[in-house]
Amino acid sequence: MLSYTPGSSLAHRLDPRTKLAAQIAFVVAAFAHTTPGGLAALTLLALGILASAHLSPYSAIYAYRFALPFLLVGPLIEGLTLGGFDLTRAFETGLASYRVLLILLVSAAYVRSTPVRESRAAIQWAVPGKPGAFLGMGTAFVFRLLPLLVADLKRAREAMNARLASERAVHERMALLAVTGVERALGRADGFSLALRARCFAWNPTLPALTFGRLDLPALALAAGLALSALY
Amino acid sequence: MSTETESVDLVDDATVKNVARAALCAALTGAFAYVSFPYPLSPAPVTLQVLGVFLAGLLLGPVWGGAAMVLYLTAGAVGAPVFAGGEAGIGSLVGPTAGYLWSYPLAAGVVGALVHGRSVGPLGAVGVPRLIGAMAVGVCVIYAVGVAGLMAVLGLSLPNAVLTGAVVFLPAEALKMAAAVGIVRSDRLTAA
Amino acid sequence: MIETRELVHAYDGARALDGVSLTVEDGEFLVLAGPNGSGKSTLIRHWNGLLEPDAGEVLVDSQEVSEDLVAARTRVGMVFQNPRDGFVAATVGADVAFGPENLGLERSEIDRRVAGALEAVNLDGRDEDGVGTLSGGEQERLAIAGALAMEPAHLVLDEPFTGLDEPAREAVLDHLETLSTAGTSVIVVTHDLRDVLGLADRLVVLAAGRVVRNGPPESVDLSGLGVRASC
Repeated sequence: MLSYTPGSSLAHRLDPRTKLAAQIAFVVAAFAHTTPGGLAALTLLALGILASAHLSPYSAIYAYRFALPFLLVGPLIEGLTLGGFDLTRAFETGLASYRVLLILLVSAAYVRSTPVRESRAAIQWAVPGKPGAFLGMGTAFVFRLLPLLVADLKRAREAMNARLASERAVHERMALLAVTGVERALGRADGFSLALRARCFAWNPTLPALTFGRLDLPALALAAGLALSALY
Repeated sequence: MSTETESVDLVDDATVKNVARAALCAALTGAFAYVSFPYPLSPAPVTLQVLGVFLAGLLLGPVWGGAAMVLYLTAGAVGAPVFAGGEAGIGSLVGPTAGYLWSYPLAAGVVGALVHGRSVGPLGAVGVPRLIGAMAVGVCVIYAVGVAGLMAVLGLSLPNAVLTGAVVFLPAEALKMAAAVGIVRSDRLTAA
Repeated sequence: MIETRELVHAYDGARALDGVSLTVEDGEFLVLAGPNGSGKSTLIRHWNGLLEPDAGEVLVDSQEVSEDLVAARTRVGMVFQNPRDGFVAATVGADVAFGPENLGLERSEIDRRVAGALEAVNLDGRDEDGVGTLSGGEQERLAIAGALAMEPAHLVLDEPFTGLDEPAREAVLDHLETLSTAGTSVIVVTHDLRDVLGLADRLVVLAAGRVVRNGPPESVDLSGLGVRASC
């Protein structure tokens, strides 16, 4: 699974805001230039971005393997017509699928190179006030709680299977498992809010410091260039 | 001492509880993405993710339920592996399933609003037809936005998008709604 | 000093605390015991304003708790049962930093406190470890570090030994003894008095929401109270 890995690559040293801006600019450019030439240029850029995070294209594609069937099915189904296979139509949809693949690769570089505390600071920089505080702190909480709840569900499923739950109807099994999941989650909510209150959970905490470095300047210029290219 | 502590803007108790529950609902929706059941019609296995969306609306109401789903998308965008298949990143938000994901805050809000109205009350007082009706509307929202997403992102035509993105999955949604009614009617959940 | 005066607290009409008066002196090591449902957890939750009294009052270092919650929660550090549910960040360092960040301290001061708190519980250098990878004893120590980073004058631990094996238990006890010697009041809530009485200056026993014993550990008669003095 794709996740943050500590490191000292170029991407690791960039400010998270720069990396977010670059991703958004890449998305804009990919949607504006869904042509063979445009996507060829963006492919080179995407490979460069992956390299800057010390991430191989293969592991990035593997991380998004569940999206691949959708990306393949699109061109196939659009190409199918009553009279046979329409190559032009399939090619157009194929380009749309390919641009999504490139965008996925670029976001893999962000996920690999950005720790949650930096993302949180970037979120609170971008969204001011209490909504930003909610999203920033909440993001940190989700990173903490997800593995707990996944483990809860796994244990619940094992316990169900050990008692031959497979003999029951699918919706009953779903409900049994989900009830256990919700029950655990709500039970944890009480302990969690108690701990937050005891530790002075506040709207205005000290945030991790974010500073643009010398490396951020060229990266931001690149992002601006990408975004502007969409106009032509 | 007090000069130092006056500047601390404590989150009030009721809000702490809602923030904690919203974070847990967001994480639970992510955790449900890891639970798949084999389903004959669909090419990919069916996960319980949508159940998390329903539950956010049912347990937290329209405002905090919607907020929980915005949090889910935000956490996923910056790298929490909460999307289907353990995916994460901004790419997923403009990928093939983008429409479905973007619909979650709206769907949770709609389910919450139809079940609770403005103030969140105990679920035991809500009739089963109302629960099912609210979730059916929620499913419609998710698939309408999801199909629109397939058209925008992959350039599919409307009939093809509906076929690949909705028709084959809808029977499974009925199963999940049955499961959701089972959940909120469960004796084991009195805290809601 | 934590002063509790004639404290009453009821849940849905049932009195969990029925007129409790108890003073914890600065630097004291106090063990608070009593059977399940005797009101121990309810009592300590008043000391940092997690619960509000129905009657009576609570003063921390001469200030009423409800007047300044931030001050009370900074002065009284609290470590809950099942600390795993109370971790707010995915990594050790980020979790310990949570409290000081909420106080709005300078980053350099936060870093200093995190380092100090982790060192005090022998978790130094483990900042980047995932909290899910820690053993039960390490999780308990991390929870203590999270409370210590607030630099509390008083540290309250609710059932800190639940689920810990013997070495982990001894490690936690060692850290508590060090803290107590350094001048922090330590209040341990437990229904299991093994070992911990040797460190205690005083033993207080609650039953049905009242203080039924209060004195030096060696002088308190525990018969008929539902409290275990040994294995």
